[in-house]
Amino acid sequence: MQVKDTNKNRRDVAILAVVCLVLQLAVAPNLALGNGHINFALVFAGIVALTRGGRIGVICGFVAGLVFDLLGTGPMGVMSLLLTVASYFMGIEVRNRLAEDFSGSMIVYVIAAVAVCLLHNLTMFLVGQATDFVDVLFLRSLPSALLSVLAFLPFAYLISRAGSNSSLGGGIGSSRPKHSGKYNIGGV
Amino acid sequence: MPTLSAGSSNNSGFRRNNASSGGRIAIIFVVLSLVLFTASARDTGTGPFSVVRGVVSTIVMPVRFVGAAVTAPLQGLGNVFANLTADQGTLSELKAENEQLKAKNSELQEAEQTATRLQNLLALQSTYSLQSTAARIISASTDSWSDTVTIDKGTTSSLAVGMPVSDSNGAIGQIIECGPASSTVRLISDENSSVSAMVQSSRAQGMLRGSADGTLRLTLIGTDQTVSVGDTVVTSGLGGVFPKGLPLGTVASVSKNPGALYYDIVVTPLSKTESFEEVLVITSLTEGQHATSEDIQSADNQGSSGSADAQQSQATNSDGAASNESGQNQG
Repeated sequence: MQVKDTNKNRRDVAILAVVCLVLQLAVAPNLALGNGHINFALVFAGIVALTRGGRIGVICGFVAGLVFDLLGTGPMGVMSLLLTVASYFMGIEVRNRLAEDFSGSMIVYVIAAVAVCLLHNLTMFLVGQATDFVDVLFLRSLPSALLSVLAFLPFAYLISRAGSNSSLGGGIGSSRPKHSGKYNIGGV
Repeated sequence: MPTLSAGSSNNSGFRRNNASSGGRIAIIFVVLSLVLFTASARDTGTGPFSVVRGVVSTIVMPVRFVGAAVTAPLQGLGNVFANLTADQGTLSELKAENEQLKAKNSELQEAEQTATRLQNLLALQSTYSLQSTAARIISASTDSWSDTVTIDKGTTSSLAVGMPVSDSNGAIGQIIECGPASSTVRLISDENSSVSAMVQSSRAQGMLRGSADGTLRLTLIGTDQTVSVGDTVVTSGLGGVFPKGLPLGTVASVSKNPGALYYDIVVTPLSKTESFEEVLVITSLTEGQHATSEDIQSADNQGSSGSADAQQSQATNSDGAASNESGQNQG
């Protein structure tokens, strides 16, 4: 029987938000690959979208993007727009994809991460914040995407392992049995 | 295929339960984001967005401070990419240099380093008669497309947007955002940074620009000027933002393409900004720190021996130097 505990769901999302905010403020500025930094707003939005999806995912994506924009120095609204759209598409199935289809979820997240980082830096390039397209691509976008994917992995692993024990790991659709999904790797 | 307006019905191939896929709210947020983007693009640095950013920056400052302290030992990981792309010779030199630095570092105590830095800052302040306020770097840039640092002083310490910032070695950047208790400094290595500079020995004047790979390039130095590897590059004072004569870096390489009007000069910065390093925010310039009329005349005349195109470019350079230097905060 699936019991919907809204307060627990909200609490788990809030805890994850605080963790990601602290990491964005404390860790992201001090770890870099090229000029790329970890985007914990993307990590947060990805986790909520892939575990909850739907309206909650979109709201969390927008808020995470807005906070990211506020913490930066560029124009507002760019990351919030990208994370809103990314969260919508990642969470369009409104189920806990992360627990049910880990490999598929990772592929979706990687595509979203590359797209978000590339479009964000491309927007900055178009508004005059950067001058060299090659640098935008190879020194900023790809390193940022790679780091954001690496940062996503431990969260995704823990939450997918938590399964139905956690509201984030098994809120909506937790009654559905686990399966390896469309993108089966090594017969797992 | 799901639609944007998908509701609680379960007539698509996806499982939906009773929750919406969020299409409507996504459209609302997309429109809201576009409105925010348009409005913030028009913000001149004193509008509501800057105020909100200042407040947010003040609120999160303690977290940034703690984060910088915790991750200080890991900051060397940031050089992984540069190490991967460096050639063997460079890596060997860096390894040898690293050994020397380790040996030297083990002999020094943190307190002594801090005392030395503070003494150097005081010396710099005294040498250049700088009217300044001391601050400390608490965080680096949180995004990937700007090269900035956050310092722990703001408007409550009488700091303002546009003020130049230096460390014990010389100029490092300029304040571009100022909150009540913290400020954001755009470093001279930022891609959008350009500072009026000159070669100290030959007085050849040009523009020191940052780049995405962190190197500094001294541009608009005509090929009829004299520039050598190892020359010190200092601020020229044109534009009235940076005091004249503040060190910026040393010339690492000078190259000239056939038929080119200007040298291609790479400059090594004197400073490497790190968390908790003390800096000076120069709050005002004295009369003697502005570029003299002779300097301005020299900049105007520079390139007069070149072609007509060169002369036109140099004239643009002189104007651009002032506007770009003071316009750093617009980026």
